[in-house]
Amino acid sequence: MKPSPFEISRPGTLDAAREALRDEAHGTKVISGGQSLGPMLNLRLARPSRLVDVTGLPGLAEIRKTETHVEIGAAVTHARIEDGEVPDPIPGMLRHVAAGIAYRAVRNRGTIGGSLCHADPAADWVTAMIALDAVLVVRGGGGAREIPMSGFMLGAYRTAMKDDEILTTVRIPRYSDQARWGYYKICRKVGEFADAIAAFVADPERRTCRVVFGSTSGAPFVSTELARQIATTGAAVPLDAVKSVLRDSGLNLSEVKIHQLAIAHSRAVTEALSDA
Amino acid sequence: MPETLILTVNGEACTVTVAPRTQLAEVLRDHLDLTGTHLGCEQGVCGACTVIMNGKPVRSCITYAHTCDGAVIETIEGHRGDPVMDQLRDAFSRHHALQCGFCTPGMLATAHDIVTRFDAADEATIRHELSGNLCRCTGYVGIVGAISEVIAAKGATSAPPAPLRNVKPFTPFDPVEAAAVPAASAAPKGSVSTDGGWTVVKRSFALNHAPDAVWALFRDPARVAPCIPGATVDSLDAENFSGAVEIRFGPIRARFGGRGTYANDDNARAGSIRGEGNDKLGKSTVRGELRYAIAAGTNPQTSRAEVELRFEIDGMLAQFNRPELVTGFVNYILAQFAANCDAVLSGGEAGPAKRLSVFAMLWAVLKARFSR
Repeated sequence: MKPSPFEISRPGTLDAAREALRDEAHGTKVISGGQSLGPMLNLRLARPSRLVDVTGLPGLAEIRKTETHVEIGAAVTHARIEDGEVPDPIPGMLRHVAAGIAYRAVRNRGTIGGSLCHADPAADWVTAMIALDAVLVVRGGGGAREIPMSGFMLGAYRTAMKDDEILTTVRIPRYSDQARWGYYKICRKVGEFADAIAAFVADPERRTCRVVFGSTSGAPFVSTELARQIATTGAAVPLDAVKSVLRDSGLNLSEVKIHQLAIAHSRAVTEALSDA
Repeated sequence: MPETLILTVNGEACTVTVAPRTQLAEVLRDHLDLTGTHLGCEQGVCGACTVIMNGKPVRSCITYAHTCDGAVIETIEGHRGDPVMDQLRDAFSRHHALQCGFCTPGMLATAHDIVTRFDAADEATIRHELSGNLCRCTGYVGIVGAISEVIAAKGATSAPPAPLRNVKPFTPFDPVEAAAVPAASAAPKGSVSTDGGWTVVKRSFALNHAPDAVWALFRDPARVAPCIPGATVDSLDAENFSGAVEIRFGPIRARFGGRGTYANDDNARAGSIRGEGNDKLGKSTVRGELRYAIAAGTNPQTSRAEVELRFEIDGMLAQFNRPELVTGFVNYILAQFAANCDAVLSGGEAGPAKRLSVFAMLWAVLKARFSR
């Protein structure tokens, strides 16, 4: 199999990259690691006439730690995160999530920014970054703007980014040493698209708690109700109660999906709250 | 426009001139005659094409030419003088870790990476790390045994450290929800199920006009088709239609052209559309049937549309036939369709044709369906 012909440009600056995108917005696609787009190109499900490779843009492979945040360049690979190159905003969570993405050969090329922009409902970072309350910095015609992760993904493969915007940085707040996290996904085979993903992050010092469900039919589902219940009691919510929240979510989930999501959630929370 | 790449393959400098769409695997196999790298699925799943690029395993089927300039690559033909690969080859041979041999080049590349990254690994860890390489002879026992032996020969005893976790006591607290999280938009009610090779999507959605008016729209393909995002009608008579639907779903683009039949029952305010079409460039075909019925809504000025879509997709698109994506796509399309119907019934026009979508299935459907 061979992709449809495409031209490739490797702009050296963000402005040049945006120019290349604006040039032919409808036949042009940004490519980063290409580990999701590549299969679509080979299958000819995607047939862009031009690809704009953003992996060489200045700053996109950088990792920074500030007083309040950890900042990850959009073109940082999953493998670098798995290997601990990124300072922990919360101990161990990023490494755990990264290590569970597809396979090592894919993680060596796939990037966090590419995964977020691709916005596959079953992808790990879209769920994990909502749980961590990350903010995405995108660069467009009017300069840089920030998009909170909770409003970034609009649906399957749809995001709040405009055609000529480029994601440059993922900013994750640094959590206190009291923070707890849990992350669990159900896959039929290691590395396959997940059937259900659940993330939990709670920080008593920041007084924030997030409960997120991923691998639904669109953007991850955030339950403030479950988050409040767990934060105030310090205990997991019974499975039946979790299921009824999912049933009332308006997401029209099948009973099988509800069960898988509820199980993933209870395992994530149990893991997060255990003192072992 | 072809580009010239300079790369180092198995220790030798090579120069190749290839088109940008060329996969690394093709550079190796067709331009450098290194056919030991095998292509299996060509979509990053099977692992057969795995090679070592700049010291790390990568899928050569989804690594394109432009990223290879200046790269240092080792294929199964190479690794000369590499003691780890020598040990692995020897162990694979003794453990009978290959049968047909198709997966072996990729298995050895991944095995090399596992041995390099892990000083100690139990069988579960090795199997986990090996999960991206499929052996259809199912010869995993020998493969895992061989890798295990080579890792053990490193003589290290320490297991990789477990990720750090907070173990301070958890103090319950009253959370402050910092940012308002948008509520999930109300999806149409319905279900998605499978029936043999067919996917069956049932949906029910409201329209803000009386049933008579809605039915007059639905029964007339020429009027309802423009309400379907991306649909165009080429020909139409009392029973038959032909046309096309353009789909955009994330990076996916497809244009399904096809034909079919439709029938309406004015008394029951119900009808059906059957059709099939294909996407020539993407080599996918879809067959589908759409049944629809219009009932009274919660008050006389509103209606409820009940829609059942059955479809079957063959070809490339079928590779992406994941139920949750189908559901998300259907909801998105229906919301636009319903909004367009309401706009037309109010005397306006359907919004600019939006090509969305994904699944051809729907496609078929929609297209078919409403399309004439």
